[in-house]
Amino acid sequence: MRKIKEWLGHRTIAGLITGAVLMLVMAVLLSALLVFLSLYRNSMTENAVTAGDQAVVQVVNTVTNYTEEIEELMACVRTYVASDNRSQFAFFDNLMRTRTDVVAVITYDKNGNMEKCWAGEEQVKSKWLKNLSRPEADTGKGLRLSAPHVESLFQNSYPWVVSISDEGEDAQGNPVQIVMDIRFSSIMNYVDTVGIGQHGYCFLMNKEGTIIYHPQQRLIYSNLKEEQTDWLKEQADGITMDNGVIYTIQTLETCNWRVIGVCYADEMVGAKVETMLKVSVILMAMFFLVTFAVGWLISRLISRPSRELARAMGAFEEDAKAFRFVSVGGTAEISRLSDSFGHMVVRIQQLMEQVRQEEITLRKTELNALQTQINPHFLYNTLSSIAWMCEEERSAEAVEMVNALGQLFRISISKGHELIPIGQELQHAKSYLQIQNFRYKNQFTYEFEVDEDCLGYYCNKITLQPIIENAIYHGLDRMVDEGRIVIRVYQKDNDIFMEVEDNGVGMTQEQCHEILERDPKRKTGIGIKNVNDRVRIYFGSEYGMTITSELDEGTCVKIRMPKVTQEQEFSSADDYMRRQADDYGKDLIGGKERENVGK
Amino acid sequence: MSENKRKKAVPFLLLAAILLFCIGGFWQIRLLLGKENEQSENGKHQVALITKSTLSAFWQSVFAGARAAGTEYNLTVKIEGPENEEDYKTQNEMIKKAVEGGAEVLVFSAVDFQENAEMIDWASSKGVKTIVIDSDVNSDEVVCRIGTDNYAAGKMAAKAVLESDLAEKKVGIVNYDKNSANGQQREAGFREAVKDDAQTGIVDVINVISTTEDAKEGTKDMLARHPDINVIVTFNEWTSLGVGYAVQEEHLADETMVVAFDSNVVSVGMLESGEVDALIVQNPYAMGYLGVEKALNVIQDRGTLPAQIDTETTLITRENMFDPQCQRMLFAFENG
Repeated sequence: MRKIKEWLGHRTIAGLITGAVLMLVMAVLLSALLVFLSLYRNSMTENAVTAGDQAVVQVVNTVTNYTEEIEELMACVRTYVASDNRSQFAFFDNLMRTRTDVVAVITYDKNGNMEKCWAGEEQVKSKWLKNLSRPEADTGKGLRLSAPHVESLFQNSYPWVVSISDEGEDAQGNPVQIVMDIRFSSIMNYVDTVGIGQHGYCFLMNKEGTIIYHPQQRLIYSNLKEEQTDWLKEQADGITMDNGVIYTIQTLETCNWRVIGVCYADEMVGAKVETMLKVSVILMAMFFLVTFAVGWLISRLISRPSRELARAMGAFEEDAKAFRFVSVGGTAEISRLSDSFGHMVVRIQQLMEQVRQEEITLRKTELNALQTQINPHFLYNTLSSIAWMCEEERSAEAVEMVNALGQLFRISISKGHELIPIGQELQHAKSYLQIQNFRYKNQFTYEFEVDEDCLGYYCNKITLQPIIENAIYHGLDRMVDEGRIVIRVYQKDNDIFMEVEDNGVGMTQEQCHEILERDPKRKTGIGIKNVNDRVRIYFGSEYGMTITSELDEGTCVKIRMPKVTQEQEFSSADDYMRRQADDYGKDLIGGKERENVGK
Repeated sequence: MSENKRKKAVPFLLLAAILLFCIGGFWQIRLLLGKENEQSENGKHQVALITKSTLSAFWQSVFAGARAAGTEYNLTVKIEGPENEEDYKTQNEMIKKAVEGGAEVLVFSAVDFQENAEMIDWASSKGVKTIVIDSDVNSDEVVCRIGTDNYAAGKMAAKAVLESDLAEKKVGIVNYDKNSANGQQREAGFREAVKDDAQTGIVDVINVISTTEDAKEGTKDMLARHPDINVIVTFNEWTSLGVGYAVQEEHLADETMVVAFDSNVVSVGMLESGEVDALIVQNPYAMGYLGVEKALNVIQDRGTLPAQIDTETTLITRENMFDPQCQRMLFAFENG
């Protein structure tokens, strides 16, 4: 089951549908072909058998008619043999002239000697070697047919005849035997014209298995062809098949002749079935291809839009905010799916905007909270320091201190603008450091290394102060040696870097991490994280804070941000900020919200 | 962009290919279904049968066999032969005409063993193969030779002579054209078979023109020169008749034994009445039939044919001439 699922996972809808349809069509076509061919073969065989049967029946009817006619003629002959010489002569003269198929009529006396012979124009030999027409002495009564033989009584003429003999009486009342020789060919002309199929034919055979007439008898007599007469004479009337040959056998009622129809089943059935097979195979291949084409087209109708949809989803995943959805056509299901996706995209984009706005609001609130949280203590300490200075009459220092405090608060309370010029931010940091330096009684020194060109660019307000505060409270406070803080601002390519470096106690790698990952609900130490969050919300996840620190060596906090000018801040602030927020939102969606923070 | 275009073109190409295939398929089906008719109308192969004579019963029987095969195998068989059995020139003309007329195979019976050879070689160079029936030609281009084993037939004639109850057999041979291969082979076979018999001696051999008249005169001459001749052997249909007539006219039917070749109603009549005592009957029908049948083999290029196919010969005497088997050999049907 799992394997099937796995297999399915690698198949496209198009492939599956096409494959399934093709297999189905193939199966249906194949079975239809088999059924059709077997039906066709049966019906063709039946046709062949019927054709053979009909041909044989025709031959039987014709030969029967002919023998009946000859029988009638024989009755006539019998009457005239018994009549007087005159009418006898007239009759036979007429008979020989009108019936070309009668070769001779001969009468024999009871001892078998020839009495009379009418042979028309043929000249009867005075002496002959052998009389093939004379019937056997002991033949019984009734009409008899002899096997075909040559008429051996004529001078230089040897026609093939069949002798028909009957009992009769001559004019004197003596019993005579009447023999009528019938030209063999006239009986058989008909048999020649009967064809069964292309090469099928009929032939005549007597019950003893001797061929009486065969359309190709010269081939048989020349040993170029053979009929299975020995086998055939054993067969009963009806239809017999042997070696792909269909034999139809029927015995004549009037004599012992049998008509045998020979039909080559292979020729009539086999060849046709082969043709039909070829035709069917071609048709099948055509159906198959057409099905393939149709299946492929239909599946394309389904799968192409769905593939497009998938591609759109991929693109959406890559870049959610900039994604503009263009609805995908296709079948009803697909376009419904596509519309839903379109709605979803719009909804997600709205949600992302909402999240960004909420995030901004949250950070602002946090910043405010931070300020309100530190201010009282800081203010109290600073004021008591000033008071102490006044007491000592260090009025100049007190003035400096008050000015610094004023500066500090001026920037802190500059509400409304999140971004301020870097110069202002540095002023703020300087004021703070001044105050703290007084308070810590010059326990540390500080230094600014600033690239003047950077001062015009903008940065988030109150970025440096929390870092410096952190450096003083956690880095320098517990130090025995003199502390030192260096604040650097420099540019590199399109970015501005601000660094706060101290030579304090330093932190472990875990502590560095912890600072940036700190739970915002904790009251203390959220300042640094807040800075980092704000920078990243405004400028994107590639910007922000990195902390490098070594125990007993010091800490360096580096903030990277883009060069932002005043115009950008005010004129295109909305777009700009939205774009940055998108990045942030994407991180949320992509589940890699904090991925870059620890770096 | 171009790749995109190409991708879009794929289904159309596929459809076009399938459409083409379907058209091809229908065409093929049409061809298959129409094959039987077409075969009988246009696909008829042509075979030329050129014989050395056309009039004798022997050749009529050859033609009947050839026509039967032509009908059975659906071939056009064109039959031709010179009037005169010595006329090799006319025969060569006929070969040329047949080859130019589109015959695919020649079924040929040579008048002259040597003089026809060149023409047969020429025909072969034109791609027309030759099958020889009855009478051979001196060419290596002949695919197959069909006919009586003439040497054996000569021996059969000798056997009839040797078995006769004559005390002393003085033999006169009436043969035809010396250049005709089969006549010479029959004579050679005869000579070989009788040479060891002390009672038999060949007194005279004459070669006559192959007509009844010339053979009759030649025989009469020979009988006049050698009155002691009591056996005459002759080797084809016309010389057989000539010898028969000569014996008849000289009233020597009872005194002279005649062994003749081939049969027609007259020679059969002579056999019955005693002028001729034995007939060596060939199977011309089989020659014609097999000649055309093998020609089809050559046309269809179905395997190699045997170099030699012998058709049977039968010795028919007065005693067995009306046996059913012999009747069939001797007497032609009007049809079939």
